[in-house]
Amino acid sequence: MMGRVTLQTMAAAAHRNLESSSAKLAQAQQSAMDLKKYANVSDNPSAAADSLAVRAQQAASAQYARNISDGTNWLATADSAMASVTTLLQRAQDLTLQGANGATTPAGREAIATELESIRAELLTQANTKYLGRSIFAGNSNQGAAFTDNPLNYTGDPSVTVERRISSGAQVRVDADGAAIFGTTDGDPVFTLLSNIAGALRTPGGDVTGHLGALDKAVNRAIDGRAELGTRQAQLLRAQKTNVDGAVDLENQRSSIEDLDLGKAILDVKTQELAYQAALSITAKVLQPTLMDFLR
Amino acid sequence: MSTFSGLNTALSGLNAARTGLNVVGQNLTNVNTAGYTRQRAELSAVGMPTNGSLFTVGLKSGQGVNVTGISRLGDTFLDTRVRTAFSSAGYTNARADAVTDIQNRMKEPGTEAISGQLQTFWAAWGDISNHAGESASSAKLLGSANSLAQNIAEGYRALDTQWSQTRGRADMLVQEVNTTAAQVASLNDQIRSATASGHPSNELIDQRNTLTAKLSQLTGGTVRDLPNGDNEILVGGNVLVSGKQVNTLKVAGGGTMSDGQPVQLEWDRRPGVAVDLDGGQLAGTLSVLGPANGQKSGGVIAETAAEYDRLAETLANQVNAIHTTAFKADGTLGGAFFTFKPGSGAGAALRLEVGVKSAADIATSGSPNNALDGSMADKISKIGLAKDSPDAKWTETVLTTGAAVRVALQQDVAAGTALTNAMAAQQSNASVDIDEENVNLLSYQHAYQAAARVMTAIDEALDVLINQTGRVGR
Repeated sequence: MMGRVTLQTMAAAAHRNLESSSAKLAQAQQSAMDLKKYANVSDNPSAAADSLAVRAQQAASAQYARNISDGTNWLATADSAMASVTTLLQRAQDLTLQGANGATTPAGREAIATELESIRAELLTQANTKYLGRSIFAGNSNQGAAFTDNPLNYTGDPSVTVERRISSGAQVRVDADGAAIFGTTDGDPVFTLLSNIAGALRTPGGDVTGHLGALDKAVNRAIDGRAELGTRQAQLLRAQKTNVDGAVDLENQRSSIEDLDLGKAILDVKTQELAYQAALSITAKVLQPTLMDFLR
Repeated sequence: MSTFSGLNTALSGLNAARTGLNVVGQNLTNVNTAGYTRQRAELSAVGMPTNGSLFTVGLKSGQGVNVTGISRLGDTFLDTRVRTAFSSAGYTNARADAVTDIQNRMKEPGTEAISGQLQTFWAAWGDISNHAGESASSAKLLGSANSLAQNIAEGYRALDTQWSQTRGRADMLVQEVNTTAAQVASLNDQIRSATASGHPSNELIDQRNTLTAKLSQLTGGTVRDLPNGDNEILVGGNVLVSGKQVNTLKVAGGGTMSDGQPVQLEWDRRPGVAVDLDGGQLAGTLSVLGPANGQKSGGVIAETAAEYDRLAETLANQVNAIHTTAFKADGTLGGAFFTFKPGSGAGAALRLEVGVKSAADIATSGSPNNALDGSMADKISKIGLAKDSPDAKWTETVLTTGAAVRVALQQDVAAGTALTNAMAAQQSNASVDIDEENVNLLSYQHAYQAAARVMTAIDEALDVLINQTGRVGR
C-alpha cells in the first residue's frame, strides 16, 4: 500500500537512507583500513572458530621451531666436542703405540707420558663442554660439570635424557650420553685409562700394549657416539624443514581466513562512496520543491 | 424565510472559511512538531429550517455552513502498531547492547586477548622445558602467568562493572516509567475535563500518544482507550495507569552480580511479586541481569562471568595437576602453580593468582635428582592442545558469545525495521503535508472570498429593495 507522502515521511526516508548509506561507507572504510575480513567474532563466528584454531596451531608451530633450533645448537655443540674427542683419542692411540715400541728411550717415554696427560686434561675439558650453561654430556644434572677430577666422578644421570619436542607427538634427544661415550658404564673411564698408560710409561720397563685394546674400544665408542649424534641432527633438520613448510601453510590459512584483499577493499569503499554521493544528491533534489515554489 | 437570512448564510461561510484557515495555520506551523497529528475542520451544510409557521410558503434553501468540530486525523490502529514495534525494538535493543558490550570487552581473536595470552603461557612452559632453571625463561613464565591471571580477572571485573551499570540503568528506566506514567495520568485528567466541557483536546491527545509510545518502548505495556477520553495502560496484565490513577513500579533483588539473586520488577504496593513484562527496554535490561543458573540459560552477563570462573578453575586444575607431581630443582615436589585467594562462590576468576612466586618454586623435572630436566614442563606446555583444555573451553565461550551477538543483532535489525515501517505508516497518515495544506489554504481563501461576494450580492440586492424601490417615475 502506498500511503500518503508528506514532507515528513520523505525527510524521514531520506534521513534513513543517508544514515544507512554512510554506515555502510564507514564499515567499508574500516575494513579497508585494517584489511580484516571481519572485526568481531559475531560478524562471522565460523571463520572466527577457524581463526582461533589456526592461531593456536601457529603458536605451537613457533614453539616447535624454537625447540628445534635449540636442539640443533645442542647437537652442533656436542658434535664439535665429539670431533675433538675423536681426534684426541686417535692421537692418544698413536702415542700409546709409540710408547709400546721397545726402542723408545726413557726420555721419549717421559715425553709421551706428558703428552698423554695433557691429552687427558684436554679430553676432560671437552667432556665438560657446555651449551648455554648446560653440560651437554651430563644429561639433566645441575652439578656444573659432567666429570669431576680427583676423584674422577660422573655427575650425570643417564636414565633421564634431555629431549626437545619437535611436533605434538615426537621428541628428539639432544644431549650425548657422557657415561657411555667416556666409558663409565662400560669398563674403565677413558680418563683413568690414559692416566694408567702414562703411569705405565713412566715406570721403567712398563708395558702399555695391554692398554691398546681398551683404547681402541674408547675410540670406537667416541666414533659411535658421534655417528648417533649425526643421525639425530639429520632428524632435527628434517623436522625443521617440515615445520617451516607447515608454518607457511598455517600463515596462508590464517591470511585466507582473516585478511581482506586490498583490491576488493578499495573497490568496496569506492562503491559505497558513490552510493553515498548518489543518495546525497538525490535527497537534495527531492526535498527542495513544494507547492509554494509555484504559487504566486 | 427572513429577508436577511442570506446575510447570515454568507456570514456562516466567512466563519467556516476563517476556522478552516486557522486549522491550516495550526497544521502548517506544526509541520515539524514531533508527535503532532494533522487536524481538519469538519464542516457540514446547514439544512433549511422546518416550516416555522402555518403561513410559511415556498421552497427554501439551506442556511449556510456549520463548523462541527476540529478532528484529529490519527489512526489508533497505526498508533498501536507503533507501540508494539517500540516494545519489541526496545527489548532487542537492550539485549543487543549488552551482548555487544561483552563481545567488545573480550577483544577476541587477538594476541592481547585471553586466547593469545593462553598461547603465550603455554609457549613459556615450552621454553622453560628447554631451559629449565634459567632465570630468563623463569621470569618469562612467571610474567606470562601473572598477565594471564590478571587478564582473566580483568575480564571478570569488566563484566561485574557492566552488570552494576546495567542494574543502575534498570533503576533509571523504572524511574522514567513512573514519571511518564504520572504525566500520562495528568493528561488523562485534562483530556477528560476538556472532552466533558466540549473543548477540543487534539494537542493533549498528541502529547499523550507520544508518552504512551515512550512507555511501550520502556515496558511494552498495552494501551486501551476508554470511551470517556481516558486511557488505561496495562503492564504484565496489571494497571500501570488508569484514568488519573497511577501504580508505581520498582526494581527489586540482587544489588551486585556476585549476589546471585534474581533481579525483578515489582509493583510498589505488592512487594515480592514479580511483574512479567512482555517487551520493552526494561524487559531486555532485566533479562541480561539474571543470575547464572548452571544450565547456561541465565542472564548473559552472569553466565559469561561464570565462564571466566570455569576458565580460571580449569586452568588452575590442569596446570596444578601436573605441577604438583613435578620436582623442583632442589628435588622436592612442586606446589600449586595457580592458587585462589580465600573466598567462595562466584568470582573464582577474580581470586585466581599465581602461587609460584620465584624461579626456585617452578617445578619442571620428572625426577627428584635431575634438576634441569624439563619433561614435566613439556607436559604442561601440551595442555593447550588437548581436547578439554582451557583453550578449547574458552574458544567455545568466545564462539557462543559471538553467535549470541549475531542473533541479538539480527533480531535488533529486524525489530528496528518493523519499527521503521510502523512509524513510516503512522507518519504517512498523521504528518502534515505542506502541499496539501497549501491547497487547503487556497480553497479556504477562495471560500472566504466567495462568501464575502455572496454577502456583497445580498447587500446590493437589499440596497435595491430598500433604497431604489418606490421611485418609479421620479
